[in-house]
Amino acid sequence: MERFVYPFSAIVGQDKMKLALVLNAIHPAIGGVLIRGEKGTGKSTAVRALARLLPEQTVVADCPYHCDPDATEALCSDCQDRLARGETLPRARRRMRVVELPINASEDRVVGAIDIEAAIKSGERRFEPGVLAEANRNILYVDEVNLLDDHLVDVLLDAAAMGVNVVEREGISIWHPARFILVGTMNPEEGDLRPQLLDRFGLTVDVEGIKDISQRVLIVERREEWESDPAGFSQQFADQDAEIGTRIAEAIVRFPGVVMPVGILRALAELNVSLQVDGHRADLVGRKAAQALAAYRGIPEVGVAEVNEVADMVLAHRVKAGGRHELGIAQSHPSASRASRS
Amino acid sequence: MPFELTLPFSAIVGQEQMKRALMLNAVDPGIGGVLIRGDRGTAKSSAVRALARLLPDYQAVEGCPYRCDPATPSHYCDDCRRRAKSGPLPVTRLPMRIVELPINASEDRLVGSIDIEAAVRAGTRRFQPGVLAEANRNLLYVDEVNLLDDHLVDVLLDAAAMGVNVVEREGISIVHPSQFILVGTMNPEEGELRPQLLDRFGLCVDVVTPTDIDQRLHVMELERDFLQDPRAVHRVWAGREAELRAQLQAATARLDGVQLPDAIRTLIARLCLDGLVAGHRADLVVAGTARAICALRGAPVVELPDVVEALELALAHRRREPVADKPSQVQELASRAAEQLAQIQATTPNETAQAVRGEATQQEGASGGEANEGWTTAESRESPSTEAVDVDADAVIQLPTFAVKKLDLPRERQARRAAGKRTTTKSETKRGRYVRSSQAEKVTDVAFDATVRAAAPYQRSRRLATADPTNQLRLETHDLRQKVRERKTGNLIVFVVDASASMDAEQRMLATKGAILSLLRHAYVRRDKVALVAFSGRNARVVLRPTSSVDLAERRLERLNIGGTTPLTHGLMTALKLIKTERLRDPRVYPLLVLISDGRGNISLFGEEPLLEAQRMAGQIKQDGIRAMVIDSTRDFGSQPGYPKSRVTSLYGAYAFNVCGDLAERLGGRYYGLFDLSQRSIVDSVQREMLRTGSA
Repeated sequence: MERFVYPFSAIVGQDKMKLALVLNAIHPAIGGVLIRGEKGTGKSTAVRALARLLPEQTVVADCPYHCDPDATEALCSDCQDRLARGETLPRARRRMRVVELPINASEDRVVGAIDIEAAIKSGERRFEPGVLAEANRNILYVDEVNLLDDHLVDVLLDAAAMGVNVVEREGISIWHPARFILVGTMNPEEGDLRPQLLDRFGLTVDVEGIKDISQRVLIVERREEWESDPAGFSQQFADQDAEIGTRIAEAIVRFPGVVMPVGILRALAELNVSLQVDGHRADLVGRKAAQALAAYRGIPEVGVAEVNEVADMVLAHRVKAGGRHELGIAQSHPSASRASRS
Repeated sequence: MPFELTLPFSAIVGQEQMKRALMLNAVDPGIGGVLIRGDRGTAKSSAVRALARLLPDYQAVEGCPYRCDPATPSHYCDDCRRRAKSGPLPVTRLPMRIVELPINASEDRLVGSIDIEAAVRAGTRRFQPGVLAEANRNLLYVDEVNLLDDHLVDVLLDAAAMGVNVVEREGISIVHPSQFILVGTMNPEEGELRPQLLDRFGLCVDVVTPTDIDQRLHVMELERDFLQDPRAVHRVWAGREAELRAQLQAATARLDGVQLPDAIRTLIARLCLDGLVAGHRADLVVAGTARAICALRGAPVVELPDVVEALELALAHRRREPVADKPSQVQELASRAAEQLAQIQATTPNETAQAVRGEATQQEGASGGEANEGWTTAESRESPSTEAVDVDADAVIQLPTFAVKKLDLPRERQARRAAGKRTTTKSETKRGRYVRSSQAEKVTDVAFDATVRAAAPYQRSRRLATADPTNQLRLETHDLRQKVRERKTGNLIVFVVDASASMDAEQRMLATKGAILSLLRHAYVRRDKVALVAFSGRNARVVLRPTSSVDLAERRLERLNIGGTTPLTHGLMTALKLIKTERLRDPRVYPLLVLISDGRGNISLFGEEPLLEAQRMAGQIKQDGIRAMVIDSTRDFGSQPGYPKSRVTSLYGAYAFNVCGDLAERLGGRYYGLFDLSQRSIVDSVQREMLRTGSA
């Protein structure tokens, strides 16, 4: 058993942030979350806590990229070669990890570099996987993503968008899968991210310190309790955590079966056109997030309510500055009501 | 790149012109590639990667790392030349591939370098081919090409221009062919492309997000299906893909037989000469593209609509003047082409038959021959707008912004005390991106890979000398290589804005905000940092700390209130302090102070005559080596710049002379009228300021 992690269900408030994280856990293709807000609002606690709730996954035991032996189309070239040679890939079960990218990381550590030891000892040209390799099928957590070197952010988001890391450096030429749930945090006071990079994050949530006095007291109380007796505290929330974990696991199974009526999709597209959002990402992410929400809630068909609930997470960072728009579809929207009738 | 990770080409919804440009390149690689510019998230990269499955096969020498073409012995690599002497070369068929150059690439991988493994283990000096070798006779794809390191761009351009890659490094001396179709994608909001590189691309298409709801629905559904089961999507589209592949193959086969009538040839030359496009490459590209269009259409002779479509594709990035309104431009082009053709016909009657046929097709063009497809879609599309401003409905957004042309600043040769996108400098600290290596007297930041490569050629001799049989690497001090790093951060532009009541007149503030906005947008593309100091009433305040966020700056600017007196000195003082603080934090900061005011300072800071104080402060700023420029908000359309030449101006009787002009002189900076900005001289002004190293 690893060291104790603060239980997810013990986090007070911040429901939007928790929901955004859960939706990504259900359907990683949503494309991650950017959490904007002050320090000390439970951002990293929530991310770490979430990882503990996620269902275990099957991996190729000795693959540095933790390939999924069942998803043969997304295997790394090594695993593919092994399959082609007729080997059976050794399997293992493991929990999803939170891989951290520190802001002082160098490019070679992020994308990977030549293995110095192998080169010196035996003159071998071997690839030493970097953070992106480690992050495959995990959660990649970047604290203060806005302070990261511009160039690193480019590299990071490029890999995130393609799901592949292509390396052409230091005598190494290789590609490997790099699909991860990207979670970034930033404090907007310290500078913004370029719109191009913002757009690559599936969702954003803005968090602020809780203003409610009784909740604030509760936070302090829980924290104290946790610090004095982590084991007992975890035990206290074990059932609630387990329940969320089960709901997520069920939602993952349910997700593909959730119906997304064409009327709703149309309303979503119309909304994004009217807001003049560049590109298709808002459409695509909106669809996935609403569907994941419905799966989480156990609703068989996505309705206006689900779309509207995720709308500000999807659109907040994609609508141009200065806009004060209604981020959502009106209940009275013709295509939406047509959908609910049919 | 694994097969299943990209969409089928034919499944991509809409973006006909982009798909067409890519297909034309597959038909005739000689066209010279394509640059795709556009909004984020418009399937640019997906389309390029999907093209891989449609590319043709070609004949190649078996076992040659460069896949030499057996049919052209003159282009053989050294190895093939040698092998060819001892009999005919074995031939094989290979599919054309997409080779990717990621933006994290380092120089040694691009050009190729010594094979470390072979050198250390066996002591042989062998060449490990790089991306340029891989790319020979293939398609070289650079995503976010505008973010590619300048040095890599140089290498790429060299190879593209000569069709060969010359390697002289680490004891390796080799020349190998490197002819490739260059395909790049970029988002213009992120920065410009160097003109030389721009010209390398045969064609250029601009893509915008479709606003058609049905198209967007298709995209959403397609993505859902693809995420759920990529293989099923491929199965569904397999038939269409095969069809398209066959169509492309047939067109490639037909290409040699396609005729280019003399009248059309003359037409192309004339249209290019007309000044529509710059450079000679255009003629060739247009002719080649027109032939490919014709081949794809299945016709034997190039006709007018083919040329018009080709012109449109080859023209977008070669124009000397940017066009705002594309559809009408295309129409104008079409009619001009028809006119010209008629003229040519009149002078050369024997060509009439073909030309007439061309004109006929043009008239029934609306009914949509295949060749017209791209043309008509382009007309119905919205023109891509570079100024996002016009679109938005909110307050600031209605401010007029001016097109600010790009600044071409010379690249730095030596490490110096300024880092910035426009002044990319080699950085002395261990920060920044490792781009290449060099030999240094004192190595502080070891470039490990380069060090190993430098040592590699001597491994055998050193092993013999020590009589140690293991494969351990033997390094000596002189093998050590230093990392050369480049950092790209921006310059710091500090706007010092007069927000006093006098700025209220004649919509001065509106124009001022407009001017700042234009500069801000520009600064963003260049990754400059901007800061905003406003002064009014009794003091000056920093409205915006140095930031690279245009959004933030816009919001602050929107909220800027005007009214009160004019504490000019306070403004200058605050800006000076701000710059000094930034300098402490990062000595590489390269500041430019832009003062926008009517110059009528009337609040004293030190109890002296306000104007005198402002003049002193200006002198101080100049002494600190801060570059500055002054924009006079009282100047309007009628009056020309150029301030009084009288060098010694009276300090009193302040309003009798040009206060701003005087301040500019004392700051050692330039002077401009606010309304000159709209006449585009702002471009030259900022450029000039950035070029000056400061008078101190």
